[in-house]
Amino acid sequence: MTSPGSNPRVPPAPGSNVPGSIPRVLPHVPSIEVEAVSFAYPEGTRALTDVSLRIEPGETLAIVGQNGSGKSTLVRHLNGLLRPTGGRVLLDGADVRPVHVAHLAARVGLAFQNPDRQLFAGHVSAEIEFGPRNLGIRGAELAERVALALAAVGLESVATANPYDLGYSRRKLLALASVLAMRTPVLILDEPTTGQDARGVARVQDVVARAAAEGRTVIAISHDMRFVAECFRRVVVMRAGRVALDGPPSAVFAEAAWPELRASYLEPPLPAVAGARLGLGATPTGGAVVAALAAGPRNR
Amino acid sequence: MSMTRLPDYVVRRPSGFYRSTNPGTKLVVAALEVLAAFLLPGWIGPAVVLAAVLATAAVARRLRGLATFGLAASPIVGSILLVNLFLLPGASDPIARLGPLAPTWSGLWFGLQTVARLLAFSSAIALVYLTTTVDDLLADLSRRGLGRRAIFVVGAAVQMVPLTIERAGEILDAQRARGMDTEGRIWRRARGVLPLAGPVVFGALTEVEERTMALEARAFSAPGRKTLLRVPRNGRIDRFLLWAALLALVALVGIRVAGRLG
Repeated sequence: MTSPGSNPRVPPAPGSNVPGSIPRVLPHVPSIEVEAVSFAYPEGTRALTDVSLRIEPGETLAIVGQNGSGKSTLVRHLNGLLRPTGGRVLLDGADVRPVHVAHLAARVGLAFQNPDRQLFAGHVSAEIEFGPRNLGIRGAELAERVALALAAVGLESVATANPYDLGYSRRKLLALASVLAMRTPVLILDEPTTGQDARGVARVQDVVARAAAEGRTVIAISHDMRFVAECFRRVVVMRAGRVALDGPPSAVFAEAAWPELRASYLEPPLPAVAGARLGLGATPTGGAVVAALAAGPRNR
Repeated sequence: MSMTRLPDYVVRRPSGFYRSTNPGTKLVVAALEVLAAFLLPGWIGPAVVLAAVLATAAVARRLRGLATFGLAASPIVGSILLVNLFLLPGASDPIARLGPLAPTWSGLWFGLQTVARLLAFSSAIALVYLTTTVDDLLADLSRRGLGRRAIFVVGAAVQMVPLTIERAGEILDAQRARGMDTEGRIWRRARGVLPLAGPVVFGALTEVEERTMALEARAFSAPGRKTLLRVPRNGRIDRFLLWAALLALVALVGIRVAGRLG
């Protein structure tokens, strides 16, 4: 079994100072409580049933599950875009139901899955400015936030380009930057690595690691089990609108949990499978496999 | 050899009153209602058509959807009433004097009648939309021999409506998630509408273009007769309705030409 610290991608402890990170002063990071939340869409589709989670400030949490398992529906409850039909969502113990989405947006940033359904400005910088402007940021601070967000995703060279002149993977990074610039204490990313090449995935991993190092809560929905195992300390598996598994990657991807994963149409990451076959124990990441092998037979 | 079960898309049949009626028949009935709303003079046309449409919608359980259409038409309805109330040419029977403005009885009467016609013909078309799936409509048009390109144009146009609504909703959600306040006062809601126009229109056009290329890549233009995956029902009731509608059309034109009710 590996500790998160043995993996270079797993974020360091909250609050540590990371050079080049976006926020200088981090606002208060709220705890999030999802209490027995159920949700049905108006046409009757039941998307969530009695989901309960507590997410501590600064936690990194990945939500995985097959398509239609309720992942996106769940995160849209965290910033008020959807209101539960049963149960409640609490930020720092306060019910978010009466709070406008615009106000919640200052605390919970959400980058959607499809960039083409969230980009609307005429050029890249304006797109990134949109969120901070709505939060009342102007002048030098706004310019600084835009510059840092562009740098974080490597889009400095296309600041004046039209978003729709960028390729899909860069539009996706732009959507991420547009939320990063808001410097929300909670950052939610819906399928951030989809459509990214290895360099794009590495950028997303860096963004997650930096945000976590700054003490922000990072929640990501993903089908990329390697990304999940390497970047997050906690994994929630959803199936048919319910939480099926909840724990650290070493537990969720351990051999004992594979039947549950496969029932959710998920495959454990390759290092976890290799580690189990080699009798190395729970090794959700490549680093963990190497560490277990290096430790020698006496530690197995 | 075991028979493979046909997919739901192929075997699914619409059920329920009027919803199961053949789409082509419903189009003919709607066309007749539109003509009746305009050809029959005075209040008779709109009243008869509205009564028929409302009764059908009630039995088909589509009254709520029809009400939504009515609500969407309310800005046009309001403007027609206002323009006619105050500006009907030649009207000289004022209801009251409001400074330089003088609403007239004949303006009010004419405006109400125009609105009734508008609602009658738009609700007749809306009822087809509310009781027919796009798949069924396109399949029936195809069965009746309409050209593939024409069917694609109709399909793309009809399907663009829900897709555009969905896309606009998601962009609006993205704006809200990035702090745009669209809750509460109406001007706040309106603020979010302008940035929607670009991505919604361009996105819809791009989607249609991509779909066109995808269809071409799957031999859409290849010559020869295509096999229909699904054939909408066209039973005795449909044929009866079709003939009844055609006879009613002949009667309508006859009445109009004879001028008995004119």
